[in-house]
Amino acid sequence: MPKQIHDKNVFSLLEVTKSIQKTLSERYKNAFWVMAEMNKLNHYKHSGHCYPELVEKQDGKVIAQLKSILWKTDYLNANDKFLKILKEPLKDGIKILFLAKICFDPGYGLALNILEIDPHYTLGDLEREKKETIQKLQTEGIYDQNKTLNLPLLPQRLAIISVETSKGFADFMKVIEENSWNYKFFTFLFPALLQGEKAIEDIIRQLRRIKIVASHFDAVAIIRGGGGDVGLSCYNNYLLAKEIALFPIPVLTGIGHATNETVAEMISFSNQITPTKLAEFLLQKFHNFSIPVQKAEDKIKDKSLRMIMDEKTRFHSASRLFRSVANNSINQFKNDIVNESKALSHHSYYILKKENICLKTLTADLRKDTKVHFRQSSLLLTQNKREIAKRLPGIIESKTKELKNIEKNINNMSPESVLKRGYSITLLNGKALKSIDKLKKGDVIQTRVLGGVIDSTIKSIDQSDKDE
Amino acid sequence: MSEKISYTEAFEELQLIVSEIEQGEISVDDLSDKVKRAALLIKICKTKLSTTEEDVSKILKELESEE
Repeated sequence: MPKQIHDKNVFSLLEVTKSIQKTLSERYKNAFWVMAEMNKLNHYKHSGHCYPELVEKQDGKVIAQLKSILWKTDYLNANDKFLKILKEPLKDGIKILFLAKICFDPGYGLALNILEIDPHYTLGDLEREKKETIQKLQTEGIYDQNKTLNLPLLPQRLAIISVETSKGFADFMKVIEENSWNYKFFTFLFPALLQGEKAIEDIIRQLRRIKIVASHFDAVAIIRGGGGDVGLSCYNNYLLAKEIALFPIPVLTGIGHATNETVAEMISFSNQITPTKLAEFLLQKFHNFSIPVQKAEDKIKDKSLRMIMDEKTRFHSASRLFRSVANNSINQFKNDIVNESKALSHHSYYILKKENICLKTLTADLRKDTKVHFRQSSLLLTQNKREIAKRLPGIIESKTKELKNIEKNINNMSPESVLKRGYSITLLNGKALKSIDKLKKGDVIQTRVLGGVIDSTIKSIDQSDKDE
Repeated sequence: MSEKISYTEAFEELQLIVSEIEQGEISVDDLSDKVKRAALLIKICKTKLSTTEEDVSKILKELESEE
């Protein structure tokens, strides 16, 4: 009841609020469907109740807002439906269609009491967001950008965005580290939340950190596991998708869920359903490298051996051919020599025979010529004999004359003739004295004259005539 | 490994040598050299498969200096 103060009807605040409460509860008896954006869920873990902040925006500006209440039971119901249909829990920043009643409490004021939330509306909204993200990326021409990058032949160095304690990360590491081929990977973990609203910001932040050291990595692997299909809508976020699309090195996803592909997975370089599959994909890359290397090794071994064998065979056949050609050639030469020697002996015999005939002819000629010559000489001799006989008497006569003259001269010169002519010969010691020099006084000399010999002793020697 | 060669280069060169040998483009004179080279490349490739040489501290340092 209002009080009278200074002629005024005055209500207490409770009276006013109770009046409002009464009016509102009479006016809004039934529940009704409302469409709004749930800015904040405001879930109180302790009580289990939620106090969602509802807004309506126009061109980014809030044009209406109202508090709301979602009691624990209703929250659990709604959340279950969301998880079933959207694979997402109720969360901040989604559009919801809900059944509500206006409630006004004197203590807490005006609020909408949310009784039920239709998950299909939100699903449609999320689908729309996904479509919008895809469309935006396509319009900007970056939808396929990450796919056009080259993943190295051996994607060995991996920047991993995951949670160290998650099962997905453990699965992934187990497969790549415990491979039986001893393939080695280098992994570096960039920890981030991988589901729910916070994931967008976290993943983007880590992607930007990786970008700084991108040269150390061959690819980025976003690995999520153990979360089931829940909380994936963040991967449809435009900002995150853009960051992935424009990332300078390939982004590989192994997010692990059974529902439709998210935009992040669609635009990533390669999307594998689970972390294990992603690890197997990487091992396959190693295989793709390793197997041809192994094959190349075998091929080179085979081919080289075969080439050497072929060359050996070729060499053998060439040497065989050479031997046979050489033998043929030698035989040919032998034949030639035999033929030549035959020809030589034949020719020699022929020449010898010819010379023999020639010689016989010459002998016959010689005999004939000798006879002729002999007869001629004999004739000449006879002629000479006649000539000599004819001239001989004249010659004898002249020679006799000559001889008589010589005899006469000799007689004239004989010692008797000389002595007769009054000359004497003086002898000393029996020898004719021809000079005065050998004489000395007292010597006995003999003087021979016609009819006898005179012995004399020298009295004196006159040499006066000597120098004359 | 004495030679600084990426696995892609090593792999491509190896494939080239194999195709050369396969197509009989290599003479017996060159065979020994090519086979030696191929063996080295195979060794490089195999080593690449089983090792990584990333320096973690270098990555951390670069991250710190940029942040």
